[in-house]
Amino acid sequence: MSTSHSIAAKKFLENQTYATWHDKTFWGVRAKRDKLAFELPEWERLRDKASAIKRHTLTNIDMYLEMFSEAAEKNGVEVHWAKDAQEFNEIVFNILKSHNAKKLVKSKSMLTEECRMNPYLEERGIEVVETDLGERILQLDHQDPSHIVMPATHLSHDDVGEIFERELNTEKGNHDPTYLTYMARLSLRDEFLTADAGMTGANFGIAATGDIVVCTNEGNADMSTSVPKLQIAAIGLEKIIPDYEALSVFVRLLARSATGQPSTVYTSHFRKARPGADKMHIVIVDNGRSQWLGDPQHWESLKCIRCGACMNTCPVYRWSGGYSYSYFIPGPIGINLGMLRNPKEYSGNVSACTLCLSCQCVCPAKVDLGTQIYKWRQALDSYGVANKEKKMMVKGMDMIFDHLSVYNAATACAHFLNGMGPLVNNGLNPWAYAHKMMKFPKKPFHKQFEDMEKNEK
Amino acid sequence: MSTKKDIIDRCRANIRERLIRPTLTDLNPTVYDDPLEKFISQAQVMGCRVERAKSTDEVDAIIKKVYPDAKIVASSLPYVKSASLNPDTVPDAQALNGVDVGVIRAEFGVAENGSVWVMQKVKERDVCFISENLVAVMPEHVVSNMHEAYGEVSFNDYGYGVFIAGPSKTADIAQVLVMGAQAARSMTLILIPDL
Repeated sequence: MSTSHSIAAKKFLENQTYATWHDKTFWGVRAKRDKLAFELPEWERLRDKASAIKRHTLTNIDMYLEMFSEAAEKNGVEVHWAKDAQEFNEIVFNILKSHNAKKLVKSKSMLTEECRMNPYLEERGIEVVETDLGERILQLDHQDPSHIVMPATHLSHDDVGEIFERELNTEKGNHDPTYLTYMARLSLRDEFLTADAGMTGANFGIAATGDIVVCTNEGNADMSTSVPKLQIAAIGLEKIIPDYEALSVFVRLLARSATGQPSTVYTSHFRKARPGADKMHIVIVDNGRSQWLGDPQHWESLKCIRCGACMNTCPVYRWSGGYSYSYFIPGPIGINLGMLRNPKEYSGNVSACTLCLSCQCVCPAKVDLGTQIYKWRQALDSYGVANKEKKMMVKGMDMIFDHLSVYNAATACAHFLNGMGPLVNNGLNPWAYAHKMMKFPKKPFHKQFEDMEKNEK
Repeated sequence: MSTKKDIIDRCRANIRERLIRPTLTDLNPTVYDDPLEKFISQAQVMGCRVERAKSTDEVDAIIKKVYPDAKIVASSLPYVKSASLNPDTVPDAQALNGVDVGVIRAEFGVAENGSVWVMQKVKERDVCFISENLVAVMPEHVVSNMHEAYGEVSFNDYGYGVFIAGPSKTADIAQVLVMGAQAARSMTLILIPDL
């Protein structure tokens, strides 16, 4: 009965103090999002526009990809195309190798996580330094992100303090976040100054002008690209949008949805290499996206702008944590992207949803996340991963509901089950897991209704 | 080249229906009666210190007042006489490490989020980020929202521009807000009417 998610979630919930803190922390971010959203009377219209712009762009993405690459090349940027993760990693490695680059500083990019770029480069002798503070903490402790925007929020300041004592020689027992942030700043400053290359992901690519737009609060994307000689940007093809008019809609939504800020501190536009620096490179990555476009039920997952709002609001995410999901992106969007990636491998996550649909009420691009999870569940049998006990019971129910006489007999007798608690509430009944079965009434509903009507007459 | 063609062809083959682009004419975004006032208060919320000056002659005195302990000031602006480093003439980006105050020009402000548009005008743009403290001198030119802002942004041959809203921040350690992550630890705006 248990799914990969429910097994992992059970472990997460063993520490109730921590689980409660986790829930409160992310609900706090959701509340901040609400406060900022409600300050704008046009908020819902903005979401509508964002969705419509994405729908338009994705259904004309062939044209916009041509426009974007032409504009970038006109700016003097070398544009590369990667059909999958392997090609992406090879391209990045070859750019670095041809410039004899040994150390790469990078800002946060879920695309490089998706492609497992860091281990690929490290195996080939490149030192990769994450410069987003959260990502840096995880890198020092060899962990993966547990959230796409706040990657290390599952750690307490004591956890971080201990990691820094070990890795950065900070003062023993000084776990003050301001002190720890300052120590990370000093250590990363050295990395920026000595790096050969800097890499960013992209929040948006602007087709009309060829800009790579990166939004950060720390300024690490700018530090990564304004000091080293070589700049590389990695962008998933769905991140291309038409122009600045479209961008103005998304930047108003992004930070408000993500962290409850009116804007990120830095919204940086990169068009070309700095004077005296080497040529700038942009790598456009497909890795499944062009196929997903053709999925009539699920293509709109590609509208996602990776703000993380669906995770912050999701009761299952808040009470199970990012590591309970088997795909590298957790929460509602991760469930969907995992299923697009490989439904057999990642079907263990679709149970991580109560169908409350809070996610799609907050999604700035109006991805119908919960509805899509429901659709994936309906398709589980076709991937051969449907729950066997439930399948058997559904077959039994088919028999009952398809035959009126059987149904009437069954509902009339159902109350006999009430006295057989252990027989019903046992491990063989998948619906009795973690909750008790209902008590059946002596008189079934349709019988009660008939009697009521009779009495009225 | 062939990968490019493959990817674009595969996209084209998988597009079922081409959807039209919406206009923003019915969006009715928030505009403020007094955008300047809203901008100043919002910039302060984002962690900026806001100073008003009548002319560029006052800029040096304001820097001295706000950052009395600053030893190294970097700027290419001719009226920043206290500058001992010029980001336009330093040999490389690394040379700006250790700058206490970087002074740059911003083009305009955005009321809804307190950000300013900075267009790269110097050889080494890291002066905006590597300096411990950032000062942006700007005209009293403010737009209400990002829709108006993106109608105003301009680029030059450097091909780089950034909206900056306050000092560098992070809450990556236990969700505690800390100013000064990897870039400037404080930001001061100096507004001058006729700049």
